[in-house]
Amino acid sequence: MILPRLDPLTKKKFARFARIRRGWWSAVILTAAIVMSFFAELFVSNRALVVRHEGRWSFPAYGAIRPGTEFGQDYQYETNYRRLKKTFEEAGRGDFVLLPPVPYNAYENDLPEGVYPPTAPDFSSRHFLGTDTSGRDVLARLIYGFRTAIIFSLLLLLCNYVVGISIGCAMGYYGGAFDMFFQRLIEIWSNVPFLYVIIIVASIMVPNFFSLIFIMMFFGWMGMTWYMRTATYKQKIREYVQAARAAGAHDSYIIFRHILPNTISVIVTFIPFSVSGGIVALTSLDYLGFGLPPPTPSWGELLRQGTNRLDSIWMAASVVASMIALLTMVTFVGEAVREAFDPRRHTVYE
Amino acid sequence: MSAPKPILEVKDLKMHFPVHGGLLFRRIATVHAVDGVSFDVRPGETVGIVGESGCGKSTLGKAILRLYDPTHGQVLFHGRDLAHVHGNDLRVLRRDLGIIFQDPYESLNQTHPVGFILEEPFLIHRIGSPEQRRTWARELLHKVGLPESALDRYPHEFSGGQRQRIGIARAIALKPKLVICDEPVSALDVSIQSQILNLLLTLQKEMGLAYIFIAHDLAVVKHVSDRIAVMYLGKIVEFADADTLHHRPLHPYTQALLASIPEPDPSRSVEDKPVLEGEIPSPRNPPPGCRFHTRCPYAQPRCKTEIPSLIPWADAGEAHRVACHYAGALQPKA
Repeated sequence: MILPRLDPLTKKKFARFARIRRGWWSAVILTAAIVMSFFAELFVSNRALVVRHEGRWSFPAYGAIRPGTEFGQDYQYETNYRRLKKTFEEAGRGDFVLLPPVPYNAYENDLPEGVYPPTAPDFSSRHFLGTDTSGRDVLARLIYGFRTAIIFSLLLLLCNYVVGISIGCAMGYYGGAFDMFFQRLIEIWSNVPFLYVIIIVASIMVPNFFSLIFIMMFFGWMGMTWYMRTATYKQKIREYVQAARAAGAHDSYIIFRHILPNTISVIVTFIPFSVSGGIVALTSLDYLGFGLPPPTPSWGELLRQGTNRLDSIWMAASVVASMIALLTMVTFVGEAVREAFDPRRHTVYE
Repeated sequence: MSAPKPILEVKDLKMHFPVHGGLLFRRIATVHAVDGVSFDVRPGETVGIVGESGCGKSTLGKAILRLYDPTHGQVLFHGRDLAHVHGNDLRVLRRDLGIIFQDPYESLNQTHPVGFILEEPFLIHRIGSPEQRRTWARELLHKVGLPESALDRYPHEFSGGQRQRIGIARAIALKPKLVICDEPVSALDVSIQSQILNLLLTLQKEMGLAYIFIAHDLAVVKHVSDRIAVMYLGKIVEFADADTLHHRPLHPYTQALLASIPEPDPSRSVEDKPVLEGEIPSPRNPPPGCRFHTRCPYAQPRCKTEIPSLIPWADAGEAHRVACHYAGALQPKA
């Protein structure tokens, strides 16, 4: 089997994309943010990165919980590294603790005595964006919420596209009664108000991460089918497909080797917009309280707290600012992709 | 006449396309693209099929290859009926058939390099190892006069003529017995046309190929064909040796087509030429009787009601068949 290599026209499209500065930098920043969010434990966590205790080095950021006794403390529960740092510094015996820049995790209520949350941003306590109404660090929840949202959105996109592309492609390729049946089915299905359905479902059972993806996929797979149907239909009648058929190729061979590679640009163009759509959908569901169950860190939930407590403006402000930044960048990427893949630029009449 | 046994026999082939419409998506009309065509192809010969656009000649070629499922009739190839085989049998039969398309920009998938395009027929039929396929692809490029460096390049890097060579190389990859050339030169510059035609003729000699050569340009068809079938509105109106057809056309449509070939002869007056008037009628509603009667300068009342069948003419026997009630009675004016 020869793996499909990138043909020069596709390479040209990517080169054109890289030349659209706004979209390119948005893509770079977004990719970096997504990759970094996968390693968020190294930046935002209540676990230390490095601990040196009596000449031994430990790296507790990942792995099993380490009880306080491991570092000479008198408790069996998980080490409180922030306190450990202070203890070590007071003892002054060369032991030290290196904490992440934000030494809080997304679930932890930091409730010092005499302080009532939410607390305003404060650099000395390292709550760079303050705390929310239960004393959890806003920045930590923002970053872990971003990770949840982006993974959710990408998984949802994957599910939607696998179903949508398969069905759309089959509709375009086989046509006839199969096509007719799915056209009518999709028309009816698209008219089900899916937000209401999710609200009804969520009021019966509390959805978890995967069941929410499943429900949203159930009502979201239709989007891609129309585009794929048209794209497949357009490719199917072209002569190179007939040439493959005349050579005796099977339908599946034709679809995977000939038609799909020629519809990639349709698919790629829609990805950024689907990502932002997924993020907005999850955030709005969380905002309404029908999304992921608490205490999952989520932007929607934080936004709800923020709009309830506008006097503590840092909560609403951080979510709104992050949301604007994220969606703007995704839109820039989408715009640039659409521009770069514009077929009018690549059709040459000779 | 002792003609060799034909490798392909088309018998009363019909290809009708339904037209659906209306609220309930009912069949509201039928396009009679190919309507009862019979002819044969002998080993190593070229049968030209000529006619105006929309006369069904491309559809005929594609129906023979089973790119469409024929509505009626038989296509006998190697004693098997191509029109009615399925699955693996069809795949095996297709190894002996090739097709060259009209538009070399459309017929090559631009997402694959030329090497892949040429190896694909072997890949589909699971013949040879990857290294062997590579070697064969290289040999094919030699055969059609392209450099080996073409293997790793992509179709859009080539000119129209070069692309058509790649299309030809793909069609002959499996050493077929019969290649259907669906207007292989119509999309090319005149200067390139003759190169491609000569390549086709050389390959025919080397490999003993039989061609069905479809074109709308009678001059081109005449140049390459042994026998020529003239099609009009889904039917063959005349079928004869290229020379016979050229020197003694019997059907008024053939006469008009021949007259339309420009001749570099200043002494011939333009007025002498019979010029066809009007448009080819729609195959959705073909006229009754002889299909050509709406444009035929010699049409008689009988032509409007009675369909002429394609019968051997006078003493010419099988060598010259014509579908005209008054064949022979009408001599070309010039």
